[in-house]
Amino acid sequence: MLSQQDMLEAERHGRQVRSIYVYEAPVRLWHWINAAAMVVLAVTGYFIGLPPPSVPGEAVDNFLLGYIRFAHFAAGYVFAIGLLARVYWACVGNHHARQIFMLPVTNRAWWSEVLFELRWYLFLEKHPKKYVGHNPMAQLMMFFFFTLLAFGMVITGFALYSEGAGQGSWSDTLFGWVLPLLGGSMQTHSWHRLGMWIMMSFVLVHVYAAIREDIMSRQSLISTMVSGWRMFKD
Amino acid sequence: MTETFYDVLRRQGITRRSFLKFCSLTATSLGLGSAAAPRIAHALETKPRTPVLWLHGLECTCCSESFIRSAHPLTKDVVLSMLSLDYDDTLMAAAGHQAEAIIEEVKKKYKGQYIVAVEGNPPLNEDGMFCIQGGRPFIDKLKETCADAKAIISWGSCASYGCVQAAKPNPTRATPVHKVISGKPIINVPGCPPIAEVMTGVVTYMLTFDRVPELDRQGRPKMFYGQRIHDKCYRRGHFDAGQFAEAWDDEGARKGYCLYKMGCKGPTTYNACSSMRWNGGVSWPVQSGHGCIGCSEDGFWDKGSFYDRVTDIKQFGVESNADKVGGTVAAVTGAAIAAHAAVTALARARSKNETNGE
Amino acid sequence: MSAYETQGFKLDNSGKRVVVDPVCRIEGHLRVEVNLDENNVIQNAVSTGTMWRGLEVILKGRDPRDAWAFTERICGVCTGTHALTSVRAVEDALNIQIPENAHLIRNIMQLNLYVHDHLVHFYHLHALDWVDVVSALKADPKKTSELAQSISSWPLSSPGYFRDIQNRLKKFVESGQLGPFMNGYWGSPAYKLPPEANLMAVTHYLEALDFQKEIVKVHTIFGGKNPHPNWLVGGVPCAINLEGTGAVGAVNMERLNLVKHVIDQAAEFVEKVYLPDLLAIASFYKGWGYGGGLSSQAMLSYGDIPDKANDYSAGNLLLPRGAIINGKLDEIHPVDLKDPEQIQEFVTHSWYKYPDESKGLHPFDGITEPNFVLGKNTRGSKTRIEAFDEGGKYSWLKAPRWRGHAMEVGCLPRMVMAYLQPQRYPMIKDTIDRALKQLDLPLTALFSTLGRTAARGIETLYCARLQQDMFGRLMANLKAGDLNTANIEKWEPSTWPKEARGVGFTEAPRGALGHWIKIKDSKIDNYQCVVPTTWNGSPRDPKGQIGAFEASLLGTPLAKADEPLEILRTLHSFDPCLACSTH
Ligand code: HEM
Ligand code: HEM
Ligand code: NFV
Ligand code: SF4
Ligand code: SF4
Ligand code: F3S
Ligand SMILES: [Mg+2]
Repeated sequence: MLSQQDMLEAERHGRQVRSIYVYEAPVRLWHWINAAAMVVLAVTGYFIGLPPPSVPGEAVDNFLLGYIRFAHFAAGYVFAIGLLARVYWACVGNHHARQIFMLPVTNRAWWSEVLFELRWYLFLEKHPKKYVGHNPMAQLMMFFFFTLLAFGMVITGFALYSEGAGQGSWSDTLFGWVLPLLGGSMQTHSWHRLGMWIMMSFVLVHVYAAIREDIMSRQSLISTMVSGWRMFKD
Repeated sequence: MTETFYDVLRRQGITRRSFLKFCSLTATSLGLGSAAAPRIAHALETKPRTPVLWLHGLECTCCSESFIRSAHPLTKDVVLSMLSLDYDDTLMAAAGHQAEAIIEEVKKKYKGQYIVAVEGNPPLNEDGMFCIQGGRPFIDKLKETCADAKAIISWGSCASYGCVQAAKPNPTRATPVHKVISGKPIINVPGCPPIAEVMTGVVTYMLTFDRVPELDRQGRPKMFYGQRIHDKCYRRGHFDAGQFAEAWDDEGARKGYCLYKMGCKGPTTYNACSSMRWNGGVSWPVQSGHGCIGCSEDGFWDKGSFYDRVTDIKQFGVESNADKVGGTVAAVTGAAIAAHAAVTALARARSKNETNGE
Repeated sequence: MSAYETQGFKLDNSGKRVVVDPVCRIEGHLRVEVNLDENNVIQNAVSTGTMWRGLEVILKGRDPRDAWAFTERICGVCTGTHALTSVRAVEDALNIQIPENAHLIRNIMQLNLYVHDHLVHFYHLHALDWVDVVSALKADPKKTSELAQSISSWPLSSPGYFRDIQNRLKKFVESGQLGPFMNGYWGSPAYKLPPEANLMAVTHYLEALDFQKEIVKVHTIFGGKNPHPNWLVGGVPCAINLEGTGAVGAVNMERLNLVKHVIDQAAEFVEKVYLPDLLAIASFYKGWGYGGGLSSQAMLSYGDIPDKANDYSAGNLLLPRGAIINGKLDEIHPVDLKDPEQIQEFVTHSWYKYPDESKGLHPFDGITEPNFVLGKNTRGSKTRIEAFDEGGKYSWLKAPRWRGHAMEVGCLPRMVMAYLQPQRYPMIKDTIDRALKQLDLPLTALFSTLGRTAARGIETLYCARLQQDMFGRLMANLKAGDLNTANIEKWEPSTWPKEARGVGFTEAPRGALGHWIKIKDSKIDNYQCVVPTTWNGSPRDPKGQIGAFEASLLGTPLAKADEPLEILRTLHSFDPCLACSTH
């Protein structure tokens, strides 16, 4: 397992280290399950707010919105439990597993790496750097636009869920307080929905960056999330 | 001879036997032992009706109007037999200083025993002079009257949340009762107005059981505000099926399809309309074809048009809702990515050329 | 200010100042101050609307399709009339035509409001000015029964019925907890009814309290609830489905039967209880001819209840439109709500700010900017006012004027203007004639406190009947196969012009009501309401002209200087609504 020191080392001597095991199996599994859950959540969530055109026929023969909502809640549970499991793995897994939960904000070097990445994306740097774990920029983005937001979505999601589950249900006991805090049920819906858009914007950037870096930065990315090994091309 | 609580129970057909049984049950449940039962019975037999002082701040009197629509119990029975409505500017015979004297009298005679029912709310701007009573700001009268009360009922969305006069920009700084009164049990009975039988139900509960009903996080009686309109809506089947009225008076509207797309706020509104219905159970907003406008929710005036499903988020100004803000963010992100990808491709092509040219 | 003359009245504020605050049994908050001479006759009257919420400010920037819900909350007593006025204003601005069914349903709802509001006003807000509750305990139930049966065929009139009520009342009074009757003016020499008439009236007070909740079920059916039923720009929200799948839940045969049942019952109650009671009580107060105020000289009505759909011209209205000034009953002036010269609001004595307060503003250009300042002769402090200075600003009401005249609005102007046009309003003329004959009074007796109260009762009967007619027309239209209730062509704001303005009006129960709307970029740019009680309760204008409330109190003698019974009587005859007046 690489320490922080080792990682910087590895980065500097990228040529020597051809491949490193980064993402352990639980992280990889989680990543793809989570990605699938989120796609389901976003699509069903969109239609919960603005349902598709009315279906013809008898009400008893149809359950369109019922299924949409069911899928949303089922994916919501997957998403939430996955997030909890991921938190657990952050505690027991390798140090890469902690990256999206903690930012080394006191580390000056890390901040300069963030700036470097920013310049790279703004085409101000000619050559990319290589990282064993997440690149610092990605880490920053993930922390704010995935990790924090994911908790926000779970909290608001289960607060909304508690409305149907009823007073005294576990979701009401744990999350019911959110509704008055955010200004009521309607307002909570609105924030939850806004969260969906922000999440989706993150996913767009994330997927683009993953593909782009895969091509441009001469190190493996997508396959790393599949196999766990980071490969350096030169 | 004072008409007592016992007389009232008797008139309602409760026998002496079950009255005594009620007393001994009460005694045991209070842990006083059965010996205390006769004392409780005696107290109830001689107990005067609870005085209610009904104050009006900034409001529209629709809560009073709703109250008099009560079918069970009938308003006249509430007023003549169950409580003593000693002060209510809308109904009382007296006026001027004869009216104001009553408040003083009740405060003295029934210290800690009377209920204050508030309709409307106090404005705080302009030293409270947007609502003047007896030459003084209403807020003073409210505070003085509540000081010796046993409990306070906040009628309607005005007293509970602020309602229409507190809608943006709230020019008078109309403020709900619970934000200016403390140290007393306050029961919020929101709605614009609340359902008549909810109002009389809350009052009679308090008189009959001599306690404040169980309240939820927002101070509302759970018995009437524990569930959403949507949870008990008879059109829910159409909602789940995905069958909606798509326009006013369209096929779906005539068939009684769900009004979600017409802006119905039933899914986000806590009230008893869909099960108790209005005016003796005749109908309720959704049954009569208009979506719920969420009239029992805090700040329901400021969440965008009543006809929008995806409604405004205050923090972004009146114009913006989640889809507008979020959709814009996503679109801008998408466009930025496309541009970025294009530039990347160009740069890459150029550097390839350079490499090739070497 | 000492003494001066205006509109034929002498004002003199030198005598003893008496303050009545709150004026109870009204909607909202009203204060009145009067000066009495040594005989306790009122020589000066100052009426103050003591609340303001700022609806006109709050409406700015909102969706015009939502405005009905905001303005409806101006008042829960005349509930729905502001909503109707508002949707009419938006429809006028956007040139939207409503379907026939929507037109008829709206008329039924508006007529239903009159019946309900007038009935509740008579029994619960006004009756105690004439009826001595305590005296009813002395009545002989048998004689009460005879009295009741002599004036009406209403079945609830047996001696036993009145005895039961009397017993209940006795027990109530003996309990020592008088509730809403506490500190009333019982036993005052100003009460003139014999005990039997008092008992009959108190009994009907309770009966009407039970019955009024039935009347509004019409609102519940078409609007989903009452108070504050739902309305819709372009029509009505309730769809009609007479026989198809899903008819349960739309307006169907069962709903229509319920509407018919309720409006028939209401008409019967008005005919057999309200009107007979009114005339019986009036017959004991014939000598009390005070309170006419402005009514004999300046009256205004916008008219309402269009006969044909979408035609708001005077000739199409089943309640009359017009203005009478200078006491000339033979000349009814046309009224144009869009003419900048006709309706204007002044604020010299109101707690608002205009750039130039010597001028009035037409509501299209109206400004609502609060400005709470007190005249220099105010007694007391800012938050503890003993007496207002009517030389300065003293009310939250603006002062509306029609071509510069202070006007009285309400049932009395409507009924008088209908009376003056018997060919168009034969039933009204007939009912008034019969009432006057029964009481043996001349037409001019209408210009009084009692006349105002009588006009309200007469109008109620007319409206109850008209409601039945409108229902018949609704059924006929449904029979002809028309089920439409909404016109959605201009529902989407994208179909609207960049700028538009319109005016909506109704005759609210208390009188002429107008909303003026300016729409810009699909949002409300300016919204102004000029409301019945704003007219009647108006403070003074730059010329010192007084409004209807103030005028009506002048010259009235009080039986006891510290008991405002006569003041209440006259003010109540207007059915003041202060929440409406200031909004
Ligand atoms: C990435 C995560 C999530 C996304 C993108 C997402 C998206 C959405 C969206 C767009 C809506 C519709 C909001 C509206 O227009 O009113 C919605 C509603 C809802 N979501 Fe989520 N959601 C997420 C997570 C969750 C979670 C974890 C739960 C927990 C069970 C949850 C429960 C709900 C509930 C209960 C509703 C309201 C359903 C209704 O009103 O019928 N969501 N979600
Ligand atoms: C809803 C969709 C997705 C979400 C929410 C998501 C989220 C995340 C998160 C939170 C991480 C950090 C993992 C960790 O450190 O625990 C991550 C890493 C990663 N994701 Fe995704 N992901 C999504 C879809 C995708 C897709 C479609 C791809 C491939 C095209 C992808 C490629 C990657 C890669 C390559 C990494 C590792 C990046 C690195 O090594 O710095 N992701 N993703
Ligand atoms: N004044 C007034 Fe109203 C009426 N009628 C309405 O416009 O009462 Ni509340
Ligand atoms: S809550 Fe609504 S209905 Fe009740 S007084 Fe306030 S505005 Fe009127
Ligand atoms: S009409 Fe409203 S409350 Fe009823 S099911 Fe549809 S959205 Fe829910
Ligand atoms: S608008 Fe109000 S009356 Fe009931 S259905 Fe909605 S809470
Ligand atoms: Mg106005």
